[in-house]
Amino acid sequence: MTSLTLAFAAPLRTIPTVTSDGELIQRAAGGDRSAFELLYRRYARPVFGLALRRLGDRGRAEDAVQETFASIWRSAGSYRPDRGPGAPWLYAVARNAIVDRARSRTDTPAEIPETAASEPGPADRAEQSWVAWRVHRALEELPEREREVIALAYWSGLSQSEVAEFLGIPLGTVKTRTRAALQRLADIMGEEVDA
Amino acid sequence: MSFDELVGGDDLSPEEEARLRRVHELLVQAGPPPDLPPTLEHPQAPTEGEIIQFPLLPRRRFAVAAVAAALLVVVGFGGGYLVGHSKAKPAQFAARRVVAMHGQTALAVLKIAKADSGGNWPMELQVSGLASQRNRGDYYELWATKNGKITAPCGGFRVHGRTTSVRFTVPYRFENFDGWVVTVQPEGVRIPGRVVLST
Repeated sequence: MTSLTLAFAAPLRTIPTVTSDGELIQRAAGGDRSAFELLYRRYARPVFGLALRRLGDRGRAEDAVQETFASIWRSAGSYRPDRGPGAPWLYAVARNAIVDRARSRTDTPAEIPETAASEPGPADRAEQSWVAWRVHRALEELPEREREVIALAYWSGLSQSEVAEFLGIPLGTVKTRTRAALQRLADIMGEEVDA
Repeated sequence: MSFDELVGGDDLSPEEEARLRRVHELLVQAGPPPDLPPTLEHPQAPTEGEIIQFPLLPRRRFAVAAVAAALLVVVGFGGGYLVGHSKAKPAQFAARRVVAMHGQTALAVLKIAKADSGGNWPMELQVSGLASQRNRGDYYELWATKNGKITAPCGGFRVHGRTTSVRFTVPYRFENFDGWVVTVQPEGVRIPGRVVLST
């Protein structure tokens, strides 16, 4: 019982010792394919999410993801760690690739909206995109069992009791995993949460 | 579901509760991440751009020079024929550097002239054996490479007939690169495609 408690408690407040995005970008710049693949695993979903938000079409979003990672591979050498961490640089590369893809759309004429837009303005959209980028990136770092609980608890519409039933685990375990996941996400997102 | 329902906060310090609430808000704001389609399960760009090492390094310089010389002889002998069959007669190209490129079924000579005062380098690429494109929007692209990675685009072209000669001007500093490749570019695809010629 003691070992279980220790094993579970230990990682909660431990800052992950994984290789930083910046280090991976620098290694990719030197031709390290494994570093590039790790970046891909971390960011494929955030890039795809960003592209879907901006382009609204899965096919074009897939193309934008391919273009983004091709750009990352090609231009990793331009990343300067002294100018900031890797995540904003990757976000900028993705945003540029997605904007390029959006501009390349020539087959559909622009539609004039019939009513005044109630959607967020460009600044709000940018803020939302950045938040989604950071959160989705951080989710990739969670252990599968915690990510599963978060997805079900936040986005499935199930109650916690239903989540527990669905996963076949006690309700208390659902709550424990949820809290553990939030603590881990807080550690991963760091300054954004502590600010 | 509210934060209190999900986590509860009775046993948390105020600082920790605030921290977790912030994560909760970010999760709600971000929404669910998308499911990745099967086509995106693995990265593709590095393998598509992979090329052999640039041969103008000392240990391979002579072999490549021989290939380049042989190609130039072929081009020279066939020059009248080729020029006669091209639609435009190119002006004399004062090459300062000649680089041979080769693929499975194609050969090419890349000639680089002296840069102008602004740092623009004229280049002439003569390719032979590349397949003509069926689709009007398809093309080939010449790229500069560094350490086996495609690094900078130098220009696109389409082929006509057995041999095609095209000219580009690029503003790059060549000491930043160590090779070139030519890739197949289907219409609308901007990432480097399959490599068909490399140095």
